[in-house]
Amino acid sequence: VLHTTRPLHTTQQSLAPLPPLPEKGGEVRHGLIPEEFFQFLYPKTGVTGPYMLGTGLVLYLLSKEIYVVNHETAAAACILAVIIYGIKKFGADVAAFADKLNEEKVASAVAMKNEAVQTLQAAIEEEKKEQWRVEGRSFLFDARRNNIAMLLETNYRERLLLVYNEVKKRLDYQVAMQNLKRQKEQDHMIQWVEKNVIQSITPQQQKESIAKCILDLKALSRSAHAAV
Amino acid sequence: MAGRRAALKAVDWAAFAERVPPSQRAMFNALKTRNDALTARLAALPEKPPAIDWAFYKAHVAKAGMVDEFQKKFSALKVPEPVDTQTAKIDAQEQEAAKSTAEYIQASKARIAQYEQQLQKLKNMIPFEQMTYEDLYEAFPESTVHKDKHPYWPHKPIADL
Repeated sequence: VLHTTRPLHTTQQSLAPLPPLPEKGGEVRHGLIPEEFFQFLYPKTGVTGPYMLGTGLVLYLLSKEIYVVNHETAAAACILAVIIYGIKKFGADVAAFADKLNEEKVASAVAMKNEAVQTLQAAIEEEKKEQWRVEGRSFLFDARRNNIAMLLETNYRERLLLVYNEVKKRLDYQVAMQNLKRQKEQDHMIQWVEKNVIQSITPQQQKESIAKCILDLKALSRSAHAAV
Repeated sequence: MAGRRAALKAVDWAAFAERVPPSQRAMFNALKTRNDALTARLAALPEKPPAIDWAFYKAHVAKAGMVDEFQKKFSALKVPEPVDTQTAKIDAQEQEAAKSTAEYIQASKARIAQYEQQLQKLKNMIPFEQMTYEDLYEAFPESTVHKDKHPYWPHKPIADL
């Protein structure tokens, strides 16, 4: 009995995403009969119960000719045999192949998602780094102001130095001129005095002075001989 | 002489160099070389020129009064200081830079918020194994197929395959 008054799909629980579907279907025996049937009969008839039931049913159908054996029975038997052989031999491989295809699709999607996550994180890092970089702008302006101050100071000092040098040059020039003049006067006077002295040496005086020199030399040589 | 000279602010070149983006490295290098050259020039000049020895000149220069005249004029001379025209401009530039920086940081923060939002969305997504196609279109709206615009398979222009 369906309780039509009970509201469906309205509570928080029903708005949540559905739980994932199970990976594998229900267990079956012999590819056809669900395991629950065997478990259902186990308490009453044990392990062999369902098989006895099956055999009995099949024999009943055959003996009472409820199922008539004809040409199509043989055909069905052959076809079934081939099908079962094919599935038993190649089933696992085909299943693996199909699973691999699905896996690849999922893997590529996951890879894309991971890449997107990486890109976003890198972008966030970049933005933060740029913000940090921008904080350093005061350095630039300080450096430029320093440059200007240094230029001005250099200029001022150069001007002071220039003034000093010019004044000093002029004063030094005066001093140097005076020194030069005095030097020239001295040289000239010395030369004049020498010239006059040489002129004033008469020939008589020259002979006398030469004789005196020779006497002096002889005396010196005698004293030198004696010393040796 | 020290009254009008603004003290040089120490610039931490190492920290400055760290924050320069690679695209502006050449400009930074140029600025640094200029700064270094100016510092060297400044350091080479003495702060005050040496004092002139007036007594010596007074004793040696014969021309009367010349040294006194020089001395008088020299002490009366006032060397004009160079006028600073550029600092005001730099201050103005700094103000502008502060403004544009604030704007940039605002925009940057908005971008970061956007990225964070997207990141959260991606992180909270259900895993692909449990998704239906509807869930996929919800999570990645750009992957939707427009069956109304392209009614026949593959539901998108062939060039987009």
